[in-house]
Formats: sequence, structure tokens, C-alpha cells
Amino acid sequence: MANTVKVRIDGKEVEAPAGTNLIDAAQLAGVHIPNLCYLKGMKGIGACRLCLVEVEGLKAPVIACNTKVKDGMVINTKTEKVQDVRRFVIDLLLSMHPLDCMTCTKAGVCNLQKYAYEFELKESSFLRKKSGYPVDSANPLIKRDPDYCVLCGRCVRVCKEQGTNVLDFMGRGIESKVVTANDKPLQESECTFCGSCVDACPVNALLEADRWRKGREWEYERLNSSCLLCGNGCDISVSTKDGEIQKINAGAPEGSCEKYICAYGRFGFDSVEGEARLRTPLKRVDGKLAETTWEDALKIVGARLKDAGGNAGFVSTAGILNEDAMVLQAFAKHVVKTKDVDTTLSLYGDAASFVNSHSGDINMADLIVFVGLAPSQWERVLPALDAAVRRRVARGAKLLVINEKDSRAAGAATVNLTGDVPRILRSIAKALITKGMKAAEDLEAAVKDAVVPSEEIEKTAALISEANEVLIFSSPSFFNAAANIALLKGKVISAGLESNARGVSLVGLGAEGKSYVEMVSGGVKVLYAVGEIPVGKRPNTDFLVVQNSHMTELAQQADVVLPSTMYLESPGTIIDHMGRVKYLPQVIEPVGQSKGHAQIFIELAREMGSKIERPTEEDVKKATRERAKLSVRSFEKKEGFDISPKEFIEAVNKSVIDGSRLVWLSLANSKVPA
Amino acid sequence: MSGDNVTSGKERKLEDIKMESEQKACPVQRALYYVEEFIKGPMCGKCFPCALGTAEARLRLLRLTKKAEDLGIQDIDALKRIGLQMMQGSFCKKGKDTGRYISDTLSSFGNDFLRHISGACSKEECVGFVTYSINPELCDMCGKCKEVCSYGAIAGEKKKPYLNGYLPFEIRQKRCTKCGECVIVCPAGAVEKINAVKDLVTS
Repeated sequence: MANTVKVRIDGKEVEAPAGTNLIDAAQLAGVHIPNLCYLKGMKGIGACRLCLVEVEGLKAPVIACNTKVKDGMVINTKTEKVQDVRRFVIDLLLSMHPLDCMTCTKAGVCNLQKYAYEFELKESSFLRKKSGYPVDSANPLIKRDPDYCVLCGRCVRVCKEQGTNVLDFMGRGIESKVVTANDKPLQESECTFCGSCVDACPVNALLEADRWRKGREWEYERLNSSCLLCGNGCDISVSTKDGEIQKINAGAPEGSCEKYICAYGRFGFDSVEGEARLRTPLKRVDGKLAETTWEDALKIVGARLKDAGGNAGFVSTAGILNEDAMVLQAFAKHVVKTKDVDTTLSLYGDAASFVNSHSGDINMADLIVFVGLAPSQWERVLPALDAAVRRRVARGAKLLVINEKDSRAAGAATVNLTGDVPRILRSIAKALITKGMKAAEDLEAAVKDAVVPSEEIEKTAALISEANEVLIFSSPSFFNAAANIALLKGKVISAGLESNARGVSLVGLGAEGKSYVEMVSGGVKVLYAVGEIPVGKRPNTDFLVVQNSHMTELAQQADVVLPSTMYLESPGTIIDHMGRVKYLPQVIEPVGQSKGHAQIFIELAREMGSKIERPTEEDVKKATRERAKLSVRSFEKKEGFDISPKEFIEAVNKSVIDGSRLVWLSLANSKVPA
Repeated sequence: MSGDNVTSGKERKLEDIKMESEQKACPVQRALYYVEEFIKGPMCGKCFPCALGTAEARLRLLRLTKKAEDLGIQDIDALKRIGLQMMQGSFCKKGKDTGRYISDTLSSFGNDFLRHISGACSKEECVGFVTYSINPELCDMCGKCKEVCSYGAIAGEKKKPYLNGYLPFEIRQKRCTKCGECVIVCPAGAVEKINAVKDLVTS
């Protein structure tokens, strides 16, 4: 724990970590210091002047957002002097802000409204002004209304900090306006529609485009969960009303580098009620899929699986919950009695790399290393990792990128190395050992004849040896080589493309038997596909079962289709890419007759005369406990994982994209020349 | 509120603006000049009290010079508050100094400001308080004023010796911008500047 200092805020004694600013320290004491432009985690800019406070012993008031606590400080946040300035600023802001709180979507969570209430300002005592700038509502995702803008600059700063850099100010003073480059509509800029600006806006100037009349904050029920659409498994905060999802916001704690979700996470939820959503089981009758009952469907599938036994195979996505994975594992092994179970994980990585990954905290790392990895917010390939790392870099950490080709991530890098990745890593290891770092004998032997060819490598080695907390993110292909560096210093994490790649690996799903590729190219008699697998053409198999939330190309060619729940509809856990256990509550009731994967397997087992229990919390904990164990391996690239991450993520999320507003985004993106 | 200072070259100093403003005689005009030049030039416009405060001050001062409809003591109170709070709350010295300037001007020339509210500019610089009119007794109908008026605010017909039914020269008050060009060209000194309310007050 860092050193703490004692301060007194409005008479309340509080102990705050050294280096905390006064706004955060006051929050610890339960005192709210008004502010509009401050954003936790970022440096205060002192524009709004609402956070002025008086510190005893200082002549003039100081801004709390950019003043750090000092031992023994006595702070008064509500003196007449500073309250007058606050009232003045709010009064002025009200003079250029629409006074339509009664119909405003942000009512209840609007900071301006809150402060106007506090200062008893029914309306402004100043002259009415209006910006008159047009609304940007040309896209179905984010609406910008400059009339409401209070020019706090939060949106501009979050956009800059995460590296997207789309928004900026144009003009000065009250005539300034938040614009994209050349004041174009958002879709003609480089905007990724992540909506971080929407989360940052304290008023009604930036909003989800569809929020009008979809309820206001006090009508919502809010639950924290995780997004399962890609390997980042971001924290989300889901707002529901009348059992329906109204919006999703980034859910990581205030001030965390990880407070980010991409457009998929924020807007993909439309697909829950999408047209292609499966609501009942379907079976093939006279060559056509027809609705049937669960009872009937389970009977057919159960009989087929019983017949096939060891000739049946299961392919699943790695975006399923731990509970689902465990039940599937048990079902295949003990009920169907087949070894052939595998997941899409085997397309981009090996389970061993995920099992041996460390746990890490990006907020603590001061040197982040990408090995063979090119996260990109623009391509939506691990976008949250990209954003979090860029934020961390903006807040003082360093980034080292080691890749075969140049990538956009290199733009934020302190050192960018391209070329033969294992060779580079070997040289770095050698340079580190030469610098006097302790290494196991076999590692020393492995780098014995390596050369340290360039200044760049020396510089990289210096970066690593000087850093306090090194966090290496590696693509599974280079995990072993990257782990050798972690054996010298730091932590290493294998970055999967699906949300629960790590959980699925720890549970041991797909450890033996035929591989995913073998099965989808016709290796089994009965093929059972779980979740949205990236296969369009029916594999050569006698009987095909597709268990998914949406009608897909593959499902249309299936013999039986079982409707499963989507994320947010069934409770469970995942192990995210950083090794954290994340609990996903059930946020909404399953649509139609859809059921969770685990539930379906349990019922199928019953149909087939066996019994599987849903794993308890304890069972899951035991199965997924961290057991990273690194050993020295050769500096080599593991072959066979060369799929395009972008295409893969788009393929496993096809139903989500096509069934939501995101379809507009994919169309808009295809129109804009790259 | 960010953005670069758009004025090219060297930034103007507040002192210079103040000095330039003193070319005007009326304190309200001076303050207006100062605030407008400050907004155009040295203001960075990043902190709220300064950016929003000066914009409001400008509007209030404009009201004072133009004899706006519901002009009243509240306009002066607003200016006082802006000056004081800008001194307290602005981020930088420029903003604080501008606040101080507004405050100082108000306290040194309080009477002039008050007089504007009651409808008179003692220095006859605030156009809202002045009316121009043509004295028909003096007018010799040469038409020079009509020629020079860029706003078409003067009606009338040049006198022709053989006619006796003609329109006299008159100023259409609605169009008049009070630029004063007609006063300069009139050879007969027939265009009169009337500071109606001042006369009313002083008489």
C-alpha cells in the first residue's frame, strides 16, 4: 500500500494515498467537490473552476482537481468565496443551455442539473444565448447536440487519451464547438463509435442515438456484467427497463484504464431481440426446418447421440461460460462417451498458453509489451486492450511492440521492433542476462549464441530492466518465447480472441480427441455445434445439430436446431484475458423458449438416461484456479494459428452484428475507403 | 474550451488594449472596446468564468450603449458580478486582470453607467441615445446628405427653382445608423444631433 497522508476536509479527517488529488480525497471523506471537466484518472485541467476550494494557509482558492494532498492540509470546500464562483459559473452555463429538464434524457444524472438544484437556480439571471450549431444525428449510434454542450472537454480528452483522437475543439470561448476533423459528421471521421464520449459527457450533448423516450436513469435497473463478444471480456453496466435492455455502458471502475467498451459491446444488444433470433427448437421435416417442441427435439438429438457414441463430435466457441464448458465436457465424456470435443480456440491458440498465463493488472504496469499482437480499436480486434494500453501510456507507462509487421499499435510505442519475433526475443533475453539478470541455466544455454545486434535491443533491455511492473501480452503463437522473457522479469498473458478462451482452457475442454478443424471438415458422424462457429457450409456428416441463439447459415443446413440463450440471458462466470473471474448475472429473461447451453446438456443427459449436475460455484472455482507454471522453452513460433483476427471476430459475432445497429456500421465502414 | 489563439503574430497586451480604449470618451464605450478586443485577441477562452463571463459582459455593455429596451440596474449588477467573479475564479492573470478592469471601471465611472440606464450618454458617443434630424429652417435642399448616406436613411427632393411642390429633406430614424456622415457634408449646418434624454435630464 502506498504512503498515506492525513488531511481534514470540511472538518472530516481522512487518510488518502499520497499523490491523490483533492477531489478524490474528498470523495474518500464523503464530500463531493463540484466539477464538470474533471475525469477521474486523468490530469485535472481546471477549466470549469467549479472545484475551487480554499486551503488554510493559502491566500487564494486552488483547483481541487489538480492539487495533491499534503499531510496536515485543512481544506474547506464550501466557503462563501468559492460557492460564489460556482454559482456564477453555473448561472452563466444555464444562460446558454436549454432549460428543458422535464423532457431531457439525461435528467437525473446531469451534473448541470444537479448543481443548478444545489444553487437554487431556476433559470439563469444572465442573458439567454444559443449556439445555433446543427445537431449531428446522421448515424444510428451516437447523437451530438451542441446546444447542450457545456464545453467541458471531457469527450475530447477521453477520445485523445485512448488514442482515437477524433474529437477536438474548434474556435474559442463560448463560440467553440466540439468537432471532428473538418467538422464532418462522425461516420466520415475516424470515429470507431466506441461511445467513450457518451460515457464521459456530463450533460445531454452526447447520447446514444436511440435514447429518446426509452426511459431515464431512475427508471432503469442497473446490473454489472461482462461483454462476451471478444477476447477482452470488458466490464459492462447494463440498464434495463420493463425487462428489456435499454443501454449498455462501460462498467469498469471510474479512473481505471479499462473503462472502455467498443461499439459491439455498447450497441450489439439489439440482436437479443433481433429477427434472426431463434425462439423455438426446429427439426428438419421433408427437407425443411419446422418448429417443434423441446421434448421432441431432445428426443431426436438424444437418440442420435446415443447411436453415434464415440462417433459423435462437439465443436463449440470459446465464448461460452465456464459452467457451460464444464457441463459440455461432462456430457461429451460421460454421457455420449466421445473424446471428440474442441473449440474455436484451437484456430488461434493452444490451451497450454492460456493455462500458463499470469494474472495481471494493466493499471499497475509501467511497461507493457505486445508480442506478435496488434490490438486495434479501428478493426475492433481486442479494442479494449488497445484503448487501455494507450491510456496507460498517456498516463506515463511505456509500450514495447514486437511484431512481424508494422501495426497501428506501434504508434503509441516507445520502442517498436519488427522482424523475426522469436529471434528478437532471444536477443532481448541475452541482453538482459548480460545486464546481470538472474536466469535459469537452461535459459542461459538457450541464448548462449544469440547476438545483440542493435542499439534498439539494448534500449529495449534497458526499458525492461528499469521497469517496476512488466506486463507482456503475447499472441499464443509466440507465448513460449515471450514466457522466457517473463521468466527473467514480469508477467506474461496469452491474448485470446474469445472472451472465455482462458476459462475454457482451464476447464480442459478439448484437451484430447479430434480437433475442431478435423471435425468441421467431416471427421465425425454426428456433429454438434455449440454457439456461433465460423462455418458456413454444412460439414460432411450424417447428422448436424446446431445449438445457437440465432439462425445462421450453418443452422439453416442443420437437422435439428436448438435455441440457446445469449450472453446477459443466463448466469455464470468467465475467466477474462487478465485472469480475473468475472460473474455474469442473468440480466434479462431468455427470449422465447431459448435455454442456456448447460441447461440444454443437462436435459439431454436426462433424456439419455444419465444425470449431470450443474457445477457449483466451488466446482467452478476449483476447475478454473490459476495454475500458471512457466518453464524455459525454445524461442520458436508455434505454427498453425495464422487466421485473421478481424475476420474471426466478425465471423463469431455475425449474428450480433447483422441483428443490431452494428449492421449500419459494417456497411458504413465498407463504403469508406481504407 | 481550447483552441489556438487565432491572431497571428504577437499577442496583444492588455495594457495596449486599455490605452487604445482611452481614445473613446465614454467609459461604457471604453469598457466595450476593451472586452471586445480582449475576446478577439488575448483571451484563451479555456476557463469558464473568463470565456462565459466576458461574453456576457460584452452583451451587457452593448445593451448599455444601445439603450436596450428593458435596460436597468440589473445590467450594472451583472457587470459587477462578472468583474468580481472573474477576479476570483479565472484561471490566469489575463482573466483576473480583465475582471479587475471591469470592476475598476464600474467603480470609477459608476455615475456614467447609471446615466446610461436613465437614458443618456454624457459623452454623446453611444449612438442609441442620439437622434439626428434636419432642421428645415436651415436646410437649403442641396441633397448632399442624401448622396452621402449609405443606408438610404434620408428622404427628400432637391429643390428645383421652377417647382414649388417638393418633398422636404428628412431623416428616416428607422434606417439611420447614426454614423454622422450627413453632419459632415451639410454646408448649411442643418443636420442636428439631439441627445434628447440628456437635454431632458439636464433641463
